[in-house]
Amino acid sequence: MSNSRILPEFELLVPQSVSEAVDMAAQYGDKAAVLAGGTDLLIMLQKGSATSEYVIAMGEIEGLDYIKYGKADGLRIGALTTITRMVDNNTVKKNYPALWQACKQHSAPQIRNIATTLGNVMRASPSGDCSCALLALGAAVMLESKNGRREVPMDDFFINYGKTARKVDEIAVEIVIPPVQNGVVSSFMRMTRTNFDLSKVNVAVQLDLSGKTCNEARIAVGAVAPTTIRIKKAEALLKGVKINDALLEKIASVVSKEIKPIDDVRSTAEYRRDVSAVLVRRAIKACL
Amino acid sequence: MKKRSITLFINGEECNITVQAHHTLVHVLRNQLNMTDVKHCCGRGECGACTVLVDDDKAPGGRKAVDACMVLAAMMDGKRITTVGGLEEDGKLHPVQQAFIDEGAVQCGFCTGGMIMKSVSILEKNPKAKEDEIRSELEGNICRCTGYVKIVDAVKKAGSWSTKR
Repeated sequence: MSNSRILPEFELLVPQSVSEAVDMAAQYGDKAAVLAGGTDLLIMLQKGSATSEYVIAMGEIEGLDYIKYGKADGLRIGALTTITRMVDNNTVKKNYPALWQACKQHSAPQIRNIATTLGNVMRASPSGDCSCALLALGAAVMLESKNGRREVPMDDFFINYGKTARKVDEIAVEIVIPPVQNGVVSSFMRMTRTNFDLSKVNVAVQLDLSGKTCNEARIAVGAVAPTTIRIKKAEALLKGVKINDALLEKIASVVSKEIKPIDDVRSTAEYRRDVSAVLVRRAIKACL
Repeated sequence: MKKRSITLFINGEECNITVQAHHTLVHVLRNQLNMTDVKHCCGRGECGACTVLVDDDKAPGGRKAVDACMVLAAMMDGKRITTVGGLEEDGKLHPVQQAFIDEGAVQCGFCTGGMIMKSVSILEKNPKAKEDEIRSELEGNICRCTGYVKIVDAVKKAGSWSTKR
């Protein structure tokens, strides 16, 4: 049945509230998959790379489609917020350019109309564009279970390829991004064959340029390891210094050394090493 | 549940059906409702041949283009759905359909239904869409005859008609 356009049979569960969804997650555990937009899950079920007796479809839960911004709380993105909504949102565009760019360049219009931003994170694909931007922005994922809510920073969220810190009895309900501070800027770049393709490499950078030097830097690179990763050695080089071309060259060579890319259908390890260095350099320049 | 009874409003007609939980919208439209105007092609959201318009109160025109292969029919309960077969009004083709004919934007025709539906949504969002915007918005629709130039011309033409009216 692999590669069939017909999905394998499953039992569909349609919770009408988050608490119902949480109950279902507790009851069915790893026999259940959670479906928000479904643009990844349906394909994985078709291909047989995921199997599931139960599918918890979140689509009818009211009140999970939102983008809220507050100066104290930062940005909160509901689990059912599509990528199109993010692209159309001026707060995202103005305050979190890395995330806005990632959403804008994500997949194709019809998919962006279905796929959710949080779903892109939950898929835990190393090439996820939203995942990359959110890691650089220091975001967190809010998980809810019968025991209440817990917020897991993106830094601790990706365990391995396709594997996140979510426990089987938890439902991801929200993305939380810290409020923007003066002088903090971000950018996102990716390399693909055509715009529609998944990223061969993607890069997101956030720099705190509020002082005379760079106070803090976060650099996330995707599709170069089993998960999206931060390049902490390169971040350390940026801290407390003025950014110039010589430093950018040094950072580029650190990036090439720190990543562990592989050869696959979309690209080669060799190409990814070269291009991620270039993209990091360009993404930093785009912030200046 | 393995099956769900749902109500769809397809091209203005109310339709009460019971669908299998694992069937996608395109599967139900074609195999249960015999609506073969919606094409089932790649089945994984890559080609856009199955594009239909679905309710979305926050979208321009109140509806959005989606790949019917990427949504479960069972989760479409209560939705209004427009397919290419439902675009004409009072026997008159939709301007986008007419423009596709006038510009000869059809070769084998397999992608055409999806192309037209996506094009309708482009112009509902922005009737003055320029070539760049049209091309980037059509990224999710593949024409393997590669007749893109005429397709883009047709969308521009339909846009120019609607802004004149």
